[in-house]
Amino acid sequence: MMHKINWVGLYTFVARETGRMFRVWIQTLGAPWISSLLYILIFGHVVGQRIDTIAGVSYIDFVLPGIVMMNIMNSAFSHTSTSLYVMKWFRAIDELLVAPLSYFEMIIGFLAGGVVRGVIVGAGVYALGVFFTQATVAHFFLMILYAAAISTIFSLAGMLVALWAKNFEQLSLPSIFIITPLTFLGGVFNSIYMMPPLLQWVVRLNPFFYFVDGLRYTMLGISESNMIAGMALTIGLILGLGYWVWYLFKIGYKIRE
Amino acid sequence: MKALEIKNLRKSYGATDAVKEISFSIEPGEFFGFLGPNGAGKTSTIKCTTGIASFQGGTIKVFGIDVVADYREARKKIGLAPQDFNVDIFATAYDILWYVGGYYGIPGASRKKRVDDVLERFELGAHSKKSFMALSGGLKRRVMLARAMVHDPDLLILDEPTAGVDVEMRHDLWRYLQDLNKAGKTILLTSHYLEEVEFLCNRIAIISGGKIAAIGDKSEFTTGGKKLEQTYLEITKDGKSL
Repeated sequence: MMHKINWVGLYTFVARETGRMFRVWIQTLGAPWISSLLYILIFGHVVGQRIDTIAGVSYIDFVLPGIVMMNIMNSAFSHTSTSLYVMKWFRAIDELLVAPLSYFEMIIGFLAGGVVRGVIVGAGVYALGVFFTQATVAHFFLMILYAAAISTIFSLAGMLVALWAKNFEQLSLPSIFIITPLTFLGGVFNSIYMMPPLLQWVVRLNPFFYFVDGLRYTMLGISESNMIAGMALTIGLILGLGYWVWYLFKIGYKIRE
Repeated sequence: MKALEIKNLRKSYGATDAVKEISFSIEPGEFFGFLGPNGAGKTSTIKCTTGIASFQGGTIKVFGIDVVADYREARKKIGLAPQDFNVDIFATAYDILWYVGGYYGIPGASRKKRVDDVLERFELGAHSKKSFMALSGGLKRRVMLARAMVHDPDLLILDEPTAGVDVEMRHDLWRYLQDLNKAGKTILLTSHYLEEVEFLCNRIAIISGGKIAAIGDKSEFTTGGKKLEQTYLEITKDGKSL
């Protein structure tokens, strides 16, 4: 049965989820900005001065999009995984389950929090970069779209992990063993052409490489990946993960008794 | 149209059957007592009705609306004060009511008045800016009741609402619930305080071992000058039907 959207309910939940990040802004915004500043200083300036230009840009300019994307991915993932898991833990999720909200509206509420946090954190890292790099933007609207799209993917992934996790240790496992390694092997700090040929092929199988390279293209106008493949991957992941999350909400996986 | 109509409800947790094909209904305007020992299936039935739990068989309708097929419309009719404090413990009492009011579609301007009214009714005004975890047990219980009432539901489901509440507040709550019932609200109450059920309810069901062991008007449970507690113990111990 088709229902009208509960706009007031949806807006309320979106406001709650997005507002949560500002209540603990030192943790949600301050921490990634400070660590990014350190990355920019150490990798960009100290290390970067000893590295030649890459594809015609300085090392610090090459690295900045990677640092921005790394923080977008981590922040979006962290936001939804923590929010949903803590709701499950306190059984505050019951407040949503008994309310006249559809599964779609619940998912949009969580997503909004993750995407807004991802984009704000990314914008802040970019703003820091302005002081130390050229911080060029080749395709502004594409950059915003890409940041929002990647935030959506990692927000959905965060929700999946929150639904799956039985304890706080499990909640942190994907971040430690999947996100961090794939991020560092996804071309954040180096050009793919700095790697041996065999490893280049391995990196091309890493989806994070396309996320980082896609944002690099929107900022610098240079790309080392197949952009069409990157876009198809991004859209495919949003649709695939979105359906998966919706299905798990629908069957009440680990949220409904 | 029944306020609540449960037919052949079956709920299991793995291999354990918590509710075994129970059926009962509540008329609009009734004050209905739902009794049973711990683990009898009371809370499971409530969770199935409100959407916190899924169920394996049967149907549940609230004012004629199926709680599965048309869950959003059904949930608008229900207010739940659960046994457990299922809430964001870091949020303030005011924020809890504000957000829940929003989920139920109450627009901002009227929501503020409604939240203020409910806070005042439950004497929570002085505590509205404190986080939930900083409140005493009794105040937490009041917040749960206020949350159930914030959207002015037609069917109020109260699962052990007076556990941990002091005597004065309990008696005040009884008066409030009686007023609500007189105003036309249908109330389903579970409680281990049988004198509370005897005082408030006009119809009672006793569930035992996942089955309805007895159901009827209060007078049927108190015939011959018996106290409800006496009848309750006879039914739940012997498994006999009324």
